[in-house]
Formats: sequence, C-alpha cells, structure tokens
Amino acid sequence: MLACLISPSEGSASVGGYEISRESLRIRQMVGILTENPSVYDRLTAYENMDFFAKGYGLSDAQGRRNRIKELLDFFELWERRNDKVATFSRGMRQKLAIARALVHEPPILFLDEPTSGLDPESAKGIRDLMERLSHDEKRTILLCTHRLEDAERLCGRVIIINRGRSVIVGTPEELQNRVAGQSILQVTLRQLNQKILEAVRELRQVREVNVDESTKRLMITVDDIESAAPEVIRSIVYADGMVLSANVVRPSLEEAYLRLVNEGSH
Amino acid sequence: MFSILLPVLVVIIPSQAATPESSLSGLEAMMRNLPSNVKDELAGMTDQQILVYIMSLYFLAPFFLIIPLIASSVIASDSFAGEKERKTIEALLAMPMTDSDLFLGKVLVSFVPSMMVTLISFLIYSAVVDALSFALFNGRLLLPNMVWVLLIFGLAPTVALASIGLTVMISARVRGFREAQQISAVLLIPVLMLIFGQMAGAIVFGPIVVGALVALFAVIDLLVFRIGVKLFGREEIMSKL
Repeated sequence: MLACLISPSEGSASVGGYEISRESLRIRQMVGILTENPSVYDRLTAYENMDFFAKGYGLSDAQGRRNRIKELLDFFELWERRNDKVATFSRGMRQKLAIARALVHEPPILFLDEPTSGLDPESAKGIRDLMERLSHDEKRTILLCTHRLEDAERLCGRVIIINRGRSVIVGTPEELQNRVAGQSILQVTLRQLNQKILEAVRELRQVREVNVDESTKRLMITVDDIESAAPEVIRSIVYADGMVLSANVVRPSLEEAYLRLVNEGSH
Repeated sequence: MFSILLPVLVVIIPSQAATPESSLSGLEAMMRNLPSNVKDELAGMTDQQILVYIMSLYFLAPFFLIIPLIASSVIASDSFAGEKERKTIEALLAMPMTDSDLFLGKVLVSFVPSMMVTLISFLIYSAVVDALSFALFNGRLLLPNMVWVLLIFGLAPTVALASIGLTVMISARVRGFREAQQISAVLLIPVLMLIFGQMAGAIVFGPIVVGALVALFAVIDLLVFRIGVKLFGREEIMSKL
C-alpha cells in the first residue's frame, strides 16, 4: 500500500509527504522496491533488465544510465554476467539483480522485502553493509521487511512488530528489549566455583535468582537493578575468594522480545 | 502461406481452366452491390477475368482484417496476464508510469508487429496476384488499388487497435494468459461478420464502405483507449493475484 501497488480499503497514509491515494505517481518516483518475487525478466539479459527499469524510472541520459548500471552490477558482482539471460541466473543472482534494480534511480526511500533471502553468507553480509551505508551515511529511509530479527536488531532504528496483520508494538530495538527485559541478568564467569561463593551471592538483598552452569563455571544472576547490584555482586564474589574472569549484562534479544510480545498480543 | 496460396488458387485455376457459366453464379449477389465504376470496368471483361478480379480484389479483402487480429492475439493476451503468471507485474506496476502510458505501451507492443505482418502479407499477396494475372489482364496490374490501400493502411490498423485494446483490457483483469486468449477469441466475431457479409453480397468493400468503417473504428479505438485506461485499475490488479 505504501508503494502504491495496492489501494487501501480504508484509512490514509503518506510517503515522503505525499498522500498514497492521491499522489501515487510522485511516490513511485521516489521509492525503490524489492518485492517478495525478484520480478526480473527471464528473457532479457541482466543489462537489459537494468536498462529497461532505469529508463522507466526516468534515467534518460544514456551515458549516465550506463554508468549507474555498471556501478550497481559491479557492486553486486554481476557485471561479468551482464549479457547473460536472467533465466540462467541462480536465485541469489536474481535477488541481487532485483536489489540493483530497486536502487537504480537512487531513491530516497526503499521498501525491501527479505533482501537477504536466498543469498550466500558473503552476499548477505554485503547487502546488510549496503543497507547500513544507505541508511547511516546516505540518509536514505529504508523500510525493511524481515523475519531475521538479528538483521532488524543490527540495522533498524525503529521496529514495528506485526502480528496477524495488526501492529503489536513500535519502538527502537532497545525499547522493545527493555520492555520485556523486566529484571536484568548479570552473567559472571569464574575461574573456580564453590558453595561459599554461591551462598555469598544468594545472600545479597538485590539478587532474585542464581542459575549455575557448572561446565562453564558461569553464574546467571537475576537482579532488580543492574547498576546498583552489579558492583555488590562482584564485591561479594571477590570477598568469598572467587576470581572473576568476566562479567557482563545479558539483555533479552530482539527475538526474545518479539516472541514475548507476540504471545502477549495473542492473549 | 495465406498470401501465396490463396492468390494462387483464385488466379491460376480460373485462368488455366475453361470457366463454366455456373462459376460466376455464386458471386451474383456480390457483383450486384459493386460500386458503379467497378461494374463499368467489369463490363468489358471476360468471365475468367471477372472471376479473378472479383475473387482477388473483393472476395479475399476482408480476410486481411483477420491477419492483424491473429498476429496480435498472443502478444495482447500475454500483455498483463503473462506478467502476472511470470511474477514480473509488481516491478512493472511500481514504476512511475501513468496508467495510460502502461496501457498504450502494451497495446503498441502488440500492434506494431501485427501491422508489420499484415503489411508484409499484403505486399506478398499483391506481388503474387499481379504476377499471376499479368498475362490474363494484358499487362495491367490489379494491386495495389485505392480500396486496398484504404484497407491495409486505414481499416486494418483501426480494427487491430480496437481488438488489441479490448484484449489488453481483458488481460489486465484475468489471472492467466490462457484465460485472456480464450475470452478475446470472441473479438473475431465482428470481423467474421464482415467477411460473411461480403460473401453474401450484403456489403462490398468499396471505397465508401471502407472509408466509413475506418471512421467508425477510429471512434471505437478512442473509446476503447479511454475506457481501458479508466478501468485499468493498476492498484486492483495486485489485489486480485
């Protein structure tokens, strides 16, 4: 709907200051879109695909168009295959070509649906790095649709979780994590683990729960307030003759936040 | 094949064999409705010449309206329905083109090759007819004449545009190419009616009739284009996938 591919049944929205129901042409000019299907023409070559869409998006200058196409095909390592029919491309190559197509007119706004889907790890990293550069350095707005929450956690300034077609929650990844974090967890790895150390930690007023991993000599300590509790916990371990190898705060991942929030929204 | 075989049949066979009296009886209705200047021309001809003249210049003329329709039916049916089947429609509709640009583009991509086929067929047909009838008509070239020029450059394009426009409209609204092609087959009916009308002598493709049909189909073309763009509904196409 935001890319003006489907008309809304009700309600309104604007993209780049333009109303989707009334100014769809302007929105299409400023949006680059990668849909679920790559939507590239099998009977055309990679270059012909790019050239067709570049012209459609208004890149009328032939030399400028060629330079832009070369720049994108070079980046996605498709330049050597530019004269090959897309029907001979692998899924990953089609995906890269489709992303290149979405970028050909340098749109200020990008709608990307699962951009790393079907890509090998190296290519997927390249796409993530590209999205980071486009967003942070070139200040482009990217609406990323993904099931890879690690991507959302790393790349996104704001996250919308949609469950069964409804928005569950909107916020930064940190806000979402904090929302479900509740009590904080301090993870402490020791050189040696003994009963004296465990008792010393459990006696602390702020400690709610202590879970022990004997194999890694690691304590997972649930506390109310990490800032005031952490120094107390470390001090008590040291006074009990424990030797701390590492200590860090464990936050719930965005995946944990997502699962918790979705379950809450379902009930 | 059509442009070579048919003139061979209608020119060579009557010109090589003795023409029985009954061979013209089937064309009486058509001959009665011929323009007066053509009737005057026929007055000085032998039965063989009349048969060849009527068959090659009038009887077969409406068949050249079918050529652009058949040549364009696959491409026009595939215009949007094929894009949906091949899952390329999303990127196409996402481009900043107006509905009229998209619709016109899909019409032209069917129209241009179909008219090229029609023109080439006509040139071949004219060459074959003239070559085979040269001796029979004592060196006179039958084609092209004004009626055929109007037919090929006026009526065929306007009929083709109307049919292609309607087929593209259908293609935008159905799910697949086969569906579009089957539904658009009914668009042949009006052209077939013209053919049968001429065979029955109800109408004869003289200059006035062809000119009137060109004007009629030009109006139909404009209407088809305007209605086609209005009903295009690009934002409903995706929701029907």
